[in-house]
Amino acid sequence: MSAAEQANAALVPALGPERPVVWPPRTVRRLGNGMQAVLVEAHGVPRLTVELLLRSGNAATALTVPGLADMVATTVRTGTARRSRRQIEEDLRRMGGELATGAGADSSMIAADGLAEAAGPLAELVAEIAREATFPEAEFEHERQQAIEALKLERVTPGFLANERMRRELFGAHPYAVISPTIEQVEGYHLADLRAFYTHHYVASNALLIAVGDFSADRMMEHIERAFGSWPSGEQPAFEDSLLTRWRGRRVHLVHLPETTQARVVVANRAITRQHPDWTRLAVANAIYGGAFHSRLVANIREQKGYTYSPGSQAQSLRRQGWFSAQAAVRNEVVAATLTEIFYEMDRMRSLPVGAEELAEIQNYLTGVFSLGVATQDGLRRQLSTVYLHELPGDYLETYRERVRAVTIEQVLEAARKWMDSANALVVVVGDRAQVAEQAALFGEVNLWDADGKRIE
Amino acid sequence: MTSLGIPVETAQLANGLRVVVSPDRSAPVVLVGVYYRIGFRLEPEGRSGFAHLFEHMMFQGSEHAGKMMHIRLVNASGGVLNGSTAYDYTNYFEAVPSNALDRVLWLEADRMRALNVTEENLRNQRDVVKEEVRINVLNRPYGGFPWLDLPPVAYRRWPNAHNFYGDFEDLDAASIGDVREFFRTYYTPRNAALVVIGDVEPKEAFSLVERHFAPIPAGPEPPHADVDEPPPGEERRGVVEEKFGNLGGIAVGYYAPERRTDDWYAFALADRVLHGGRAGRVYRELVLEQQLAVDAEGGIHYDSGDLLDYCGPMLMTTRILHRPDIPAAKLLAALDQVTGELCEKGPEADELEQVKAKMKSDYYSALDGGGSIPRFGRMHYLACFSLFDGEPALLNTILDRFTDISPGRVREAAARYILPNNRAIVERRPVAKRGEQ
Repeated sequence: MSAAEQANAALVPALGPERPVVWPPRTVRRLGNGMQAVLVEAHGVPRLTVELLLRSGNAATALTVPGLADMVATTVRTGTARRSRRQIEEDLRRMGGELATGAGADSSMIAADGLAEAAGPLAELVAEIAREATFPEAEFEHERQQAIEALKLERVTPGFLANERMRRELFGAHPYAVISPTIEQVEGYHLADLRAFYTHHYVASNALLIAVGDFSADRMMEHIERAFGSWPSGEQPAFEDSLLTRWRGRRVHLVHLPETTQARVVVANRAITRQHPDWTRLAVANAIYGGAFHSRLVANIREQKGYTYSPGSQAQSLRRQGWFSAQAAVRNEVVAATLTEIFYEMDRMRSLPVGAEELAEIQNYLTGVFSLGVATQDGLRRQLSTVYLHELPGDYLETYRERVRAVTIEQVLEAARKWMDSANALVVVVGDRAQVAEQAALFGEVNLWDADGKRIE
Repeated sequence: MTSLGIPVETAQLANGLRVVVSPDRSAPVVLVGVYYRIGFRLEPEGRSGFAHLFEHMMFQGSEHAGKMMHIRLVNASGGVLNGSTAYDYTNYFEAVPSNALDRVLWLEADRMRALNVTEENLRNQRDVVKEEVRINVLNRPYGGFPWLDLPPVAYRRWPNAHNFYGDFEDLDAASIGDVREFFRTYYTPRNAALVVIGDVEPKEAFSLVERHFAPIPAGPEPPHADVDEPPPGEERRGVVEEKFGNLGGIAVGYYAPERRTDDWYAFALADRVLHGGRAGRVYRELVLEQQLAVDAEGGIHYDSGDLLDYCGPMLMTTRILHRPDIPAAKLLAALDQVTGELCEKGPEADELEQVKAKMKSDYYSALDGGGSIPRFGRMHYLACFSLFDGEPALLNTILDRFTDISPGRVREAAARYILPNNRAIVERRPVAKRGEQ
């Protein structure tokens, strides 16, 4: 530090004493039919947010009917035994409500929020959609057409194409490899497939309900009992995991999207799930590497070199697999230069211990951002659904900050060595081949794909 | 309900800085927002995109907190920060654990007092901004549709009608002298509002603000571009090429009544009857019932802000995407049918009650905030009401003005502004792709 920098550092106001996060009481109950319910009172604004999760998502049928869970979740809101599509939408609006339905790899979701005074009716509506959806044929055909248009749009969206190729290559024959169906597959959906999925997977023993908001937990539990108590238990469906093969060396994939002026660059490798003992260590390493605004990668390729607007890295986890990835959208001329810096920063994390101050700062960052994240109804609901969907310990949120603070310099180094595997990384570039193929080839033999996912020889 | 009862305390420093404090001890976090009265449409003529480029420069270091130090100090305090540029304001905000309030105020004061920019930082951020424009506009399907497409068609005066993100030639032409001049002109205490929300005693907050900001000189009264523009009295049309997507796009923008006038409150409800999710008439008719459109959404200040956070002329926009085999004229006719019916018959009483409940609920949701920015809406509206209305306490009462509006008033307002000679229309036309010819 120069003398001037030292003088400036002395001017920075010190942090005051930290105030504890006061955790609102949580009610966790399993109904007689096996549905798990988690309730937290949060009285900041007179609203509530409710999320019903089924522990089955697109991965459940990825190898047979890709995207089926998504189509089911899209169609459930279009009619129930008691309400038409239009009635559902208007009743929602009357409750000041918003409804989101959809499916990820591991789960299907019916999420609704609205005014606190509508807590009872809102719970009823969510239950009705989960239990009594009728799948009107005309609505299904319309949703199918809508899905096809959305797929066409994805085929020209660089971020989607990069993500799709990354997941394909990371997970091979595993259900997590597929993030989106093809148009032909969607055209092949049968209403009977949707109904069968709904019957099999939308059952109480497969369900988890999170509610956060301005209610009394006792009263809310009554609403939930009334709406869900008689839901048949069903059987929790089994999930067939499959083994993954390892590869050695770097693998390079280029998705050709003509006439683009910016290329999407991703470096990734398989890593760990949230249940792995290294998870928090990897989270800390990732934040230092590229997770925070002041992280090494952002400082390097954005603030020093100006290659990109939105670089970053993530450690991500689905229920059974996780991965580490770094990405940036850069002008065509600097694709190779960007990859060089991404690998350089990864290798630095793997070769040298991080500084003590750097670690302390990132620990502050992670624990602080965590506190911000649980200070709203919406944020708290999201954290809770992660905990319960991933079946993490009940005190996971309460002890998160301690776990982050306990991570040592040696553990960060070890986590980076194990889980930021630059020597055996996957490289995905989405861009115009004429502009970027030669640069990509500097990192290994290029596998070339078109935007429809077909190999170009 | 007549008031939400959210505490709002105000002060003005001798240098003109408006200060608003709103305590909330429910979580150990504070939110600090500094809003400057400068935005896209107030930037100097011939310098398109400058207000936004300048926003980036505010993160490049100030006298006592050099490049990366500002960002590092906020992150290392356990917080996050960001900024954004809009039509009529540019904002900077930090959400941090409450023990970092003193530090964050010091940082904001340091850059308001003495921003430190260099040629190298300007070059660097110009490159970053170009990549931002590429990822958000040039290299993505329907990028900038319609928030960048409509203004050049709808308006005649440069402040309203230019490219807000900036032409690359204009970005390249921006000099370090321009940056310094812009800072001296617009980034002064008298041209700003400072909002502190959260876990702090108001007395302590005011005293910290006084300590850090009072020494900053008031600066000159900034000139403000005149954004007033009369209603067009004609239908204006334009076409923009769509490079990636295969769907046609149509955006229709009607000139809205002046903000916070009687007509505006009623018109805002008309907008929510038409737009606002799957229950709105436009989506219901065009997408769900008639199945002419793939998507149809809209609003006042649509996709670049919201109903409350602007100050000047504004459009109520409908954005439609449709399959290429259905002609744009057919979509437009269907839209005219939907709006025409509202103008003629007004909303149903029950429908209007639903819309009011949804509006209230959405407002509460914004006040609570989400993601990693708790209470974002509370900060945002307090700052906007302070800068644009001189009345931050509107936060508690603005909703009341919508409560008693009758279906008849909504019909009147709709019929007065939803007129062919009061609108602009932009089409996004897919270019023929190789292999499809």
